[in-house]
Amino acid sequence: MTQQWIRAACDPSIAGGTAAHIDAHVLSLVDGRGLAADIVCTQVDRSSTVATVAMTARLVGPPEQLDGVEITTAETGASGRCVRFPGQSGLTGVHSIAEITAASAIDEVVAVGNQVTPDILVDTRGFLRPEYQDGRLVLLVEPAAGGMVRPIEIEQPHQCCGGTH
Amino acid sequence: MEGSWRDEQDDRPLSVARRRFLAGVGLAAGAAAVTPGVAAADHGHDVERPRNPWGGGDRWFAGDHHIHTKYSPDAQYEVATQVANARKYGLDWMVITDHGGVAHQKFSIDQTTPDIEQARRSNRDILVYQGLEWNIPGAEHATVFLPPGRETVNILKAFEAAYDGGILSTPVAQGGKGLITRSTSADGEPYALAALRYLDAQVLAGRTEVALMFANHPARRGVDSPHELRGWRDAAPQVAVGMEGAPGHQAAGIPEAAGGRGDARGYYEASPGPDSFPGYNPTAAENPYRTYGGFDWMTAKLGGLWDSLLAEGKPWWVTATSDSHQNFGDTFVPGSQDHARTGSRGAPTDSGVRQVYGDYWPGFYSSTLVGARSKSYVDIMRGLQAGKVVAVHGRLIDGLDLRVRALSEGDNRGVSIGGRTFVRRGGDVEVTIDVTLAGGPNFNGAIPKLAKVDLIAGPVTGPAADRDTLAAPGTKLVKTFEVGARQRGRIRFTHVFRGVDGPFYLRLRGSDGNRLTSEGGPVMDVVGDADPWSDLWFHANPVFVDII
Repeated sequence: MTQQWIRAACDPSIAGGTAAHIDAHVLSLVDGRGLAADIVCTQVDRSSTVATVAMTARLVGPPEQLDGVEITTAETGASGRCVRFPGQSGLTGVHSIAEITAASAIDEVVAVGNQVTPDILVDTRGFLRPEYQDGRLVLLVEPAAGGMVRPIEIEQPHQCCGGTH
Repeated sequence: MEGSWRDEQDDRPLSVARRRFLAGVGLAAGAAAVTPGVAAADHGHDVERPRNPWGGGDRWFAGDHHIHTKYSPDAQYEVATQVANARKYGLDWMVITDHGGVAHQKFSIDQTTPDIEQARRSNRDILVYQGLEWNIPGAEHATVFLPPGRETVNILKAFEAAYDGGILSTPVAQGGKGLITRSTSADGEPYALAALRYLDAQVLAGRTEVALMFANHPARRGVDSPHELRGWRDAAPQVAVGMEGAPGHQAAGIPEAAGGRGDARGYYEASPGPDSFPGYNPTAAENPYRTYGGFDWMTAKLGGLWDSLLAEGKPWWVTATSDSHQNFGDTFVPGSQDHARTGSRGAPTDSGVRQVYGDYWPGFYSSTLVGARSKSYVDIMRGLQAGKVVAVHGRLIDGLDLRVRALSEGDNRGVSIGGRTFVRRGGDVEVTIDVTLAGGPNFNGAIPKLAKVDLIAGPVTGPAADRDTLAAPGTKLVKTFEVGARQRGRIRFTHVFRGVDGPFYLRLRGSDGNRLTSEGGPVMDVVGDADPWSDLWFHANPVFVDII
């Protein structure tokens, strides 16, 4: 099976939205084109004064007609924050760290502030956004209520002023 | 040697100028000759006089510079309700700070002003300032406020119209300016500097006696970069004077099982976004996007961002506020008026059902204690400007008097919190700390027990070459003073820095001792499981010690 990485700039306005908006947009860039991708990432481009968001994705299956995207390398593509990855759909509840690393593309679960063991339970809250660090997909978690840990990125953080500013 | 540092910049022009100045006024005759209380006239940082001289007759006044009303789209209370509760919970001063934006600038300000004037008439023993929660272009929010005066409302309106990040980023078709991409995008940064210079110009022109800005919840979304903080401070040092050391929303981390929201303390539950400073990086070691002991990471981290600002030898003060929008345990819900079209949500209504909210009433949990000669609008603001400020949670202490003075040649009278003193190189500096322990219960019904006071100090190394510096590796915990379980009333601690051979600063913090790291620092608050009453801290502002 061929695996090809692609990269595309996102609409500049999207960077001001919530993470949920950004994620919906980048997924639509892939799925809306009818492309089959098993990894989709967001990357922040700070090369200009105003930061923008770029999407990278790993395509699976036969080569496609690719309009409006650039072909890139795995080194460039497998970087940033991972919106979709293999095994993600099966990890929506409470799972041990061992289960997460065995059943998904996540290589490692790292906790802020203390060591974790493979039997520690992660309350995924149906939302996992691991990040690539030196080519490894790492999920950063933090202590949560009930002796569990949870990902540091949550789907709906409190928005001040309705999130408008 | 404990508590002293080598000064590798012995012959800096500043030091030379300082020696010349002191020689000119006959320092050898004694420090008292150069200690008149003239700090208010200072507009630079190289004036060689003690600031905040000890024994100035100041009293502590508790207040809160971050309070919302129904004139914010995400809050609900009448001005009168907030003022009455602030008074009930012991505050002497408070600032009404509704969110800036198109509707607020057009419709809210003119409704807020008469409400505040009425509240002042009905509550003569509390000072009520009119202010704004400014969307800093390119960054987070900030309190901006002025004392009451003929031009106060005009200045606030003009300021908001020209410089609010929400208005600047709103398209013209929707009533905004359409000049920047997003409220938090970096193309807004020059507008923030222009905004602060505008406020400074209003003071210089005599349109207001004083104007102040405090950066609110600075680390919450990671959008206040270190260079922006330095930029604000340096653009208008008499206006941009500090930040929330502790954000509001302190009830937001109370577990659901205890009737709380189960969110993060302070609503500090975000993660990096496109406009976040990339140096604020969650790692296995720390998460800058969380509170630590209820305080913002910039302030709570020993040798962190706040210390890196202080190590430059420049003022930058920390406070504690409520950010009251909707208060814990309350039954009221917002009115149904359209804020976008009227600038108000209308009067809140009593649902009769306890709501799950994350804030406290002003004064209920967070206090910014300010040292001032009198409870007057300008004096309180001068106290804030001078750094005579202690940020306290849950009535951990009732007062803190600090005296820092030269034991050898130098400023023997010394200075208090926020001050600046001096000693001849190689001399000794004495620190005297008088803590007034809580004389009664806090609003959770318990008498807080202060367990310890930490004396922290670090070398002053001059302006940071890298404006995004966020660490001060030379800043250390010098000494921990333990407080006996049975101690009551006023207690005194002293420490002497001997053989001081370089300029330095020192500051104090205290804790109830309930949640400490192995180094004695605050622990990262657990999202969804943070009882604010069982993890109390205070942070006091620094004293700078110059060398002559």
